[in-house]
Amino acid sequence: MSAPPPSGFHVASDKPFLVGLAVLGGSYLLIISAMVLADLVFLNYSDQPVLGPEMVRQGRYTGDEVVVPVEPDRSYYFRKGNNDAGLQLGQQRIAGDGLFQAAGDRAVLLPHANNKPITASLRPEVRVMQIAVTNQVATVTTDVAHGLLWGEFIRVSGAGEPGWDGVREITDTATNQLSFAVAGAAVSAAKLSLSKPNPLVQALRSRDIRFSIKLSLISCTLTTLLSLWVAVPIGYMMSRFEFRGKPVIDTLLDIPIVLPPLVVGLSLLILFRYMPEWLSDAVVYKWPAVVLAQFMVACAFAVRTMRVTFDQIPQRFEQVALTLGCNRRQAFWRVIMPQARGGLLAAGTLAWARALGEFGPILVFAGATRQKTEVLPTSAFLELQAGRTEGMLAVSLIMIGAAVVVFVIARTLGMKRIFA
Amino acid sequence: MIALENIELRQGSFELSDLSLELASGEYGVLMGRSGCGKTTLLEAVCGLRNIAGGRIILGGRDVTQLPPAERGVGYVPQDRALFPTMLVREQLAFALVLRALGQAEIAGRVDELAELLGITGLLDRTPDKLSGGEAQRVALGRALAHAPAVLCLDEPLAALDEELHGEMCRLLERVHRETGVTVLHITHSPSEARRLAGCHFRLADGKVTRDENRSCA
Repeated sequence: MSAPPPSGFHVASDKPFLVGLAVLGGSYLLIISAMVLADLVFLNYSDQPVLGPEMVRQGRYTGDEVVVPVEPDRSYYFRKGNNDAGLQLGQQRIAGDGLFQAAGDRAVLLPHANNKPITASLRPEVRVMQIAVTNQVATVTTDVAHGLLWGEFIRVSGAGEPGWDGVREITDTATNQLSFAVAGAAVSAAKLSLSKPNPLVQALRSRDIRFSIKLSLISCTLTTLLSLWVAVPIGYMMSRFEFRGKPVIDTLLDIPIVLPPLVVGLSLLILFRYMPEWLSDAVVYKWPAVVLAQFMVACAFAVRTMRVTFDQIPQRFEQVALTLGCNRRQAFWRVIMPQARGGLLAAGTLAWARALGEFGPILVFAGATRQKTEVLPTSAFLELQAGRTEGMLAVSLIMIGAAVVVFVIARTLGMKRIFA
Repeated sequence: MIALENIELRQGSFELSDLSLELASGEYGVLMGRSGCGKTTLLEAVCGLRNIAGGRIILGGRDVTQLPPAERGVGYVPQDRALFPTMLVREQLAFALVLRALGQAEIAGRVDELAELLGITGLLDRTPDKLSGGEAQRVALGRALAHAPAVLCLDEPLAALDEELHGEMCRLLERVHRETGVTVLHITHSPSEARRLAGCHFRLADGKVTRDENRSCA
């Protein structure tokens, strides 16, 4: 053993501290990346088959197996539930989810255990039986109910005739029929195959979501410009001047940050009851309400960022500029603003991102009318309400993509100093 | 010339009152005092960056007490130099001249002249973050001198420099003083630094400015 140092003084190892930092920080970073990754992985990016009605009847496993009659050579989609071990098809055993072609005339569901509810699903792929073309509209008759809705999109392939293949919007449906516009002559039903394009394509094709992307981009940009226009003077004033009532103003500026978002929207709605009628008619439940609702919250964040930015620029610069012949306005524009560029970009990015995600106040103050006040978070909400988780996720991915693009632009424009 | 008459200064609980100081035109004045005695505050008051509670400030025969800093005709070199980080050295030197709307040729000539005087001709196209302490000091000096002020206020100009640069910078300050004829008010907390500098010496202590009789003005 080595002798203790003469002073007898020991300092505890830094390891536990550093490990603690790494664990705490690392777990948070892990959750963030896992969250985004889960969104990206969850979506099925390939086309999905158009499926007919469920063939497995609900009930419990009583014997060893449940027999489902199938048509030989037809395609079926099997989804294994929690209580099933798989599907037996003659010699073939199917354990995972997916399309398969039936060889014989019976499929057998294999249970995990007896007396458990049946949870598997087996559905036939829809086949096209007949095609009629009138006035450039193709009406396709399917052999079983297709479950598609008006306004959804479908990918047509294998027609072998120009003007048919591609993603088409469904213009009319019946249980066994669906119509879409085509530019070509009639084709044979045997060759035509239908599939559902992936949710991202569906979302990007949808007129509602196209509108909401457009409204989101425009309103967020407007909000950002307005926010900076207000945040720069307020941030500068709060950073540079001492005046009576400053703590009160400081508190006021934080109110939009601490208030629950829904309350912000409700407060705006109530405020506009006291406004002249022409003004509230022009704003409430219209697109200006979207911008105003976004602005109320985004601007508070921009103000905070600008204030910190100006706080970090010593007052000395202005003082020197003043002695060199500037008035306050010139000192601000010539000396301070060039230094605040990074902060300005950060404030703008933050405001833009906040505005993009704003939902609560918009829902209350502008409503959720399709093609009128629908922004991307509203679309996500409407998709969820309609039971289309995949559509919601697709909208979320669009928002993630937009945010990433804005951050990359902002970074390349030279805000490394702020974010690094 | 610089004349401070019964200046009264308040900053929070800090207070200076009835301060007077007189420095003839073209003199080099050194004001010495301990840290925290109010030297910088006094200098800021001379530059017009701080309101005074009472008294008069006369620069070059003009009562500037009520004038904004821009109209006082002072050059100010703060202790941290405060070079504008987004501007090239050339732009810093030209800053005061651009504000006075001088012609481009005139500005370029004046900048070259200043750069030559201060020995920074080779640095004109650099940004401040690429300058050493001594170089930054020269640029700050040049920026303050560009508009040919009557009074040059230096706040601890040697404090942030290495010991070996002190002698060089002292000689430079003397040369600048000699060649431009500007009235200089140089403040320092270091008695040893003060000893090296020629000119009139003042001491700020216990809220009073006293003239150092051993180093009387020429």
